[in-house]
Amino acid sequence: MATLLWLQGGACSGNTMSFLNAEEPSAIDLVTDFGIDVLWHPSLGMELGEQAQKILWDCANGNRPLDIFVMEGTVMLGPKGTGRYDMFAERPMKDWVTDLAKQAQIVVALGDCACWGGIPATEPNPTDSVGLQYLKRQRGGFLGPDFRSKMGLPVINIPGCPIHPDWVTQILVAIASGRAGDIALDELQRPQTFFKSFTQTGCTRVQFFEYKQSTTEFGQGTRTGCLFYEFGCRGPVTRSPCNRILWNRQSSKTRAGMPCTGCTEPEFPFFDLKPGTVFKTQKISGSIPKEVPTGTDHVTYMAHAAAARVAAPQWSKEDMFVV
Amino acid sequence: MAVQNMKISPLGRVEGDLDLRVTINDGVVTDAWTEAAMFRGFEIILKGKDPQAGLIMTPRICGICGGSHLYKSAYALDTAWKTTMPHNATLVRNIAQGCETLLSIPRWFYALFAIDFVNKNYAKAAGYEEIVRRFAPFVGTGYETGVTWSSKPAEVYAILGGQWPHSSFMIPGGVMSAPTLADVTRSIAILDWWADAWLEKQFLGCSVDRWLENKTWQDILAWMDENESQHNSDMAVFIRFALEIGLDKYGRGPGAFLATGTFFDPALYTNPTIEGRNAALITRSGIYDGQNYHDFDQANVREDHTHSFFRGEGSLHPFEGVTDPLDPEEARKQGKYTWAKAPRYNVSGKGNIPMEVGPLARQIIAGRSDAAAHQDYDPLFVDVLKELGPSIFTRSLARLHEAPKYFKLVKGWLASLKLNDDFYTKPTEYTEGKGFGSTEAARGALSDWIVLKDGKIENYQVITPTAWNIGPMDSSSTHGPMEQSFIGTTIKDMHDPVELGHVARSFDSCLVCTVHAYDGKTGKELSKFQVNNMC
Repeated sequence: MATLLWLQGGACSGNTMSFLNAEEPSAIDLVTDFGIDVLWHPSLGMELGEQAQKILWDCANGNRPLDIFVMEGTVMLGPKGTGRYDMFAERPMKDWVTDLAKQAQIVVALGDCACWGGIPATEPNPTDSVGLQYLKRQRGGFLGPDFRSKMGLPVINIPGCPIHPDWVTQILVAIASGRAGDIALDELQRPQTFFKSFTQTGCTRVQFFEYKQSTTEFGQGTRTGCLFYEFGCRGPVTRSPCNRILWNRQSSKTRAGMPCTGCTEPEFPFFDLKPGTVFKTQKISGSIPKEVPTGTDHVTYMAHAAAARVAAPQWSKEDMFVV
Repeated sequence: MAVQNMKISPLGRVEGDLDLRVTINDGVVTDAWTEAAMFRGFEIILKGKDPQAGLIMTPRICGICGGSHLYKSAYALDTAWKTTMPHNATLVRNIAQGCETLLSIPRWFYALFAIDFVNKNYAKAAGYEEIVRRFAPFVGTGYETGVTWSSKPAEVYAILGGQWPHSSFMIPGGVMSAPTLADVTRSIAILDWWADAWLEKQFLGCSVDRWLENKTWQDILAWMDENESQHNSDMAVFIRFALEIGLDKYGRGPGAFLATGTFFDPALYTNPTIEGRNAALITRSGIYDGQNYHDFDQANVREDHTHSFFRGEGSLHPFEGVTDPLDPEEARKQGKYTWAKAPRYNVSGKGNIPMEVGPLARQIIAGRSDAAAHQDYDPLFVDVLKELGPSIFTRSLARLHEAPKYFKLVKGWLASLKLNDDFYTKPTEYTEGKGFGSTEAARGALSDWIVLKDGKIENYQVITPTAWNIGPMDSSSTHGPMEQSFIGTTIKDMHDPVELGHVARSFDSCLVCTVHAYDGKTGKELSKFQVNNMC
């Protein structure tokens, strides 16, 4: 049995909506089969009653044990440090976060907003939004770089815009079944079991990437090719299991012809969506990708690309995902 | 989970993203104010950005309406960039929009709405035992199936768009995907499976076609007792119980309705324009002011921010709209009380008036008699409105009626895809222009106005269904639709005013909502309680 409290700050509820798509276990199974005792959640039916205010304050004051504090959404500091752009229970949400993070055994930041600031923190960040322990890639965030929850862990970041339901359900099951110690985190405090691999890992277009064959157009054009060269796909430089653990049990953005936007990385939305950056690969002198795949450099990449193009078989220049 | 622990019950000092303050006199609500408590600044962030930034940014306004946000932001760019739309692209967009709404309907019904019926205040009602068995949160037989199966239509969305929520696969000129044969057959199979397991078997107790034969309120009453299967369906159990506890008697609202319509006939919207939009729609746009129908024209939309936490006052068309936030503490001193603006529509002879949006508005417009051959004509809710008037019940029934309707539409569009044809036409990326895109999210009309200049966004304004419905008073001190719906409600148990929860949830607004009740004579706060919502 583990108690869980879930709050939403500067959020769209997209992580909650994604969470409700979960199967094996479903959101309901977590409660009925895995003993997650959801003390409060903004969208789910559950115990509130006359004790609800008491539950929140009791958790905040340390009078009621809180095992897992899940935060969805940014912590808003504005206007002028008051936090009044996001009021909850007649006080700024940021004050609730301060209190609850102090009391929880484990603090989970769910989705980009809570991890890094996400979309609301995009330039000019009008609400002064921050993530729980990061602002974009800079460590610190709302709780500070040295924050540790009662169990001695930093904030567990489960990024994504939104999260895939499995990324959170499996972590919650791990915690509820006493496997919290097995959750190894990467340098951005993400569970590495999910975020060591690349979005490209398992992508159906990876053979076209191998031979440097580009998709030339959206729609019917995505029946072949890789989206990295022209359409700004961030699959080779983004850590996620999107093509290992499929979305809605069916597909992924890159499989469906949509470039990866890198939404599990702190910089999302990349380039602050400045003119010319949306669905377009940023290039040097008109042809060379400004960013090359993680772990390589431009010289190596160019040599590899030249050889790959020579090696490209005929099928790699034809449609593959055909009717 | 014990049934007495309801989502609507006194909740001390907790308040969420939407506060509702009501004054109660002798048990009757005499005044009401809605207060949205969070500001995120999307329209500010979008200024100066890439013209296509809205395709990534606006879906993140709302987790359950993300696909609808994408749909209308794509059409806003289509009109600004004067794109050419292949038939397949229109169909794929229609299917995706339809699937998002099909997901939303059961999620709203089971997770948010029906669980209120388990409230102890109804323990003496004849249908109570059955209601608890079915709709109790987490453990109800209907609840578990309804909530779990609600994710199936999202699987079809993912096949076409990669994932749900928050794909950005619709782009000016079409869609990014090009489905294969197996993508289409799998989509059909998933939807049929969903209908077999939930929509027809559990929810309707009959075929989709049988339900859609209902053309009047009398038809629905007869349908309920036609056979055991229909009698025992979640729909029939809901209707009987809602009537027993009087949900048809309150929560009326402004009595004026607006739909911007959605879904396009592929042959009639190959070159999307603002002017050509109404005629190309399948589920129509329109205004019903309580007496007469009018055509919808985006030029008649205004946003009033007199009582909103933004600088200044008055009413602007969204192309000229401004978003200049104030510190709420300062703004309150100027009589402002919410982060929502107050959308209004100019009806000739009546001025700028508040409009209810959502499924009831859509279904009333669907009953307008002058539908073209490609358009949805459905007289059911004109009759229901005549028999029962607007209420919590009619609003909710309209929402549920859309599940079989949209299911049939989506199946038809899947059958119409011509897989070897195009899904995209590369557009010219004009550096200047104005665009308007709109759709019907599950909870109502959702629109973008975009102004492009020098190859970037000069102005971007979004009007959400939640703003239409929960928006505040305007400069003439006329209340917003949901505020009006609360007024006149009789509260039976002052310490557990479940009636206000029903009203709030019947609009399915995208905000967690807390209700504060005050005694009109003493000004004393009676209770506060939480109304949860989707997003």
